[in-house]
Amino acid sequence: MLTNLESNFEELIKKQNIQNFDIRKKLLKKFIKEGFPDKNTEDWKFSDFNKIINLKFPNLNINFGLDKKKLLIKNQILNNFEHNKIILANGELIEIDLSFENKDEVQIAQFDKRNDFQINKNTLLDLNEALSLKYLDIKISNNYKFKKPLVIYHLRNESLNSKIINLNINFTLGENSSLCLVNNFNDDNESNFINLKYNFELSKDSNLKNYLVDGQNNNNARYLFININQKNNSNSENFIFSKGSNFFKTEIFSNLYGEYSSSFINGIIYLENEKHHEIKTNINHLSANTKSYQLIKNVLKDKSRGIYQGKIFVDQIAQKTDGYQLSKTLLLDKSTEFNGKPELEIYADDVKCSHGSTSGNLDEEAIYYLMSRGISYDQSKKLLIDGFLLEVLNKITDENIKKYLTNLIN
Amino acid sequence: MLEIKNLKAVVENKEILKGLTLSIKPGEIHAIMGPNGSGKSTLSNILSGKKGYEISGEIQFENSNLLDLEIEERAHKGIFLAFQYPIEIPGVNTNNFLKTSLNSIRKARGQKELDAIEFLKLIKEKATQLNFDQKILSRQLNVGFSGGEKKKNEILQMSILDPKLAILDETDSGLDIDALKIVSEGVNKLKNGKNSFLIITHYQRLLNYIKPDYVHVLKDGKIIRTGNFDLAIELEKKGYQSL
Repeated sequence: MLTNLESNFEELIKKQNIQNFDIRKKLLKKFIKEGFPDKNTEDWKFSDFNKIINLKFPNLNINFGLDKKKLLIKNQILNNFEHNKIILANGELIEIDLSFENKDEVQIAQFDKRNDFQINKNTLLDLNEALSLKYLDIKISNNYKFKKPLVIYHLRNESLNSKIINLNINFTLGENSSLCLVNNFNDDNESNFINLKYNFELSKDSNLKNYLVDGQNNNNARYLFININQKNNSNSENFIFSKGSNFFKTEIFSNLYGEYSSSFINGIIYLENEKHHEIKTNINHLSANTKSYQLIKNVLKDKSRGIYQGKIFVDQIAQKTDGYQLSKTLLLDKSTEFNGKPELEIYADDVKCSHGSTSGNLDEEAIYYLMSRGISYDQSKKLLIDGFLLEVLNKITDENIKKYLTNLIN
Repeated sequence: MLEIKNLKAVVENKEILKGLTLSIKPGEIHAIMGPNGSGKSTLSNILSGKKGYEISGEIQFENSNLLDLEIEERAHKGIFLAFQYPIEIPGVNTNNFLKTSLNSIRKARGQKELDAIEFLKLIKEKATQLNFDQKILSRQLNVGFSGGEKKKNEILQMSILDPKLAILDETDSGLDIDALKIVSEGVNKLKNGKNSFLIITHYQRLLNYIKPDYVHVLKDGKIIRTGNFDLAIELEKKGYQSL
């Protein structure tokens, strides 16, 4: 498959006018040489992606563009709350709707050329940079606060199959600005690999809420790489709802460069039917008085597998760091597996850092109690699972999104 | 209403009930007293359908073979167990639980389910009767409830679900005098001459407030004596050793 990619790429070049051709080709060759990460790569030890791709997505090739006729957008749009929209299909920009905002304060641009390519340790980023033909760049002016959430709809052509789809978005939040972003991953197509790279630059005093929603059952593999660079007193709140995709790995780097910056990463991995999802976080406390908090809850059934690798790094200058992470897992049957790898790497001496992890199955005594009140076994289980997830849903600070996600789960 | 014949129960190779026979008619209040380890809680667990026992013997409840019914079906038929140790369930809102419970039972009985407004009205009425602070009902089920609040919550559930047979498993343990009064008043208000009560207790104290028609002594897995309220007084004076 990998060798096909190169000839595939040549074909793409003939069809489209591609910028940064040489560096792209170099990155692609590097990717082809190194391949998809496998379990020998430390960061992928619980998710042998190479094996998963070969087993479930053996015929991947490059996506040649979008047939807009086959797009069904209307029934995908959320009507739960008022919001701005960016609609992407197969990684291409289809529509921008910022009706609730002052358009002078938000700049959205699409580029096909850039000069900041880099060689990555992560081969999937090489692949992303080689094949993302367009980049979305979203800038929010100083002191501008979004009035309504911005929902990015990630749609695909219905007929799309076995394609590699790449997307690369850069966000810059100006000083004292704020954005509530919802990423809605809706796919009803099959067997594609969707490779997403987000970068956020948070200026001082800015506030990002970043909600990732993979709620709809689909047979795609997805890798989402998020890098967040944070200046003084900026705050990022991330929530990952990881459920629908066949495979989904979300990897977040949160770099707390500025004093009093803080990062929150909360999430739910809720799986059945042999799905395999991972959340990997890297919080880098690089300045004094920074704070991070992570709570991940997993509910696994029917041969599914969940993974949470959470790393907290504290630089020697990052005194008074407050870092916390906890994961709790419900294994609903014996066929499921959860792997947790908490990691603390601390070089400062005046810090408060802790981690914890629990896993178990549903409390039989609680089920008995509920059933003795006339509630069926299935409904008792559901009440307990919903109850288990409530704690982490309550971490969502946007009330509309909390309601939307709670309904999605119930 | 309830006919138990020669009930035997084994758990982990240990025989707990060794041939228990008991008959309860509509409108009657029965008390079962007995020392620790005599099988009192096992009896209430088996009646409510808890798994984990090897059971022989017969239990008829109205026209059903109770042992054939699932836990929730027994609740639908009108059996209610007030737990000795009501379990804490994080994340489950008490009001929501009560509504789900009531509507599950109503649905199974072919009655119309209550909507939010009808339910709130009912809850308000019952909570006021029991002098139960409604604020507690918006909290997570039994989480952080005091011992008294947990027991009162059981009685509140009982009064909402309006069972035919209510089993109170040591509901009096851990209650102060005021809570004991509230709990027993709750039971007394619920009595309507048709429904029956099975009160399991160590002490005569609760029976001063809820007058039983029959008092049974359970010892070593069997009922060894049956009498009226005087038997409870005698036990309080002389203890179980005298039997």
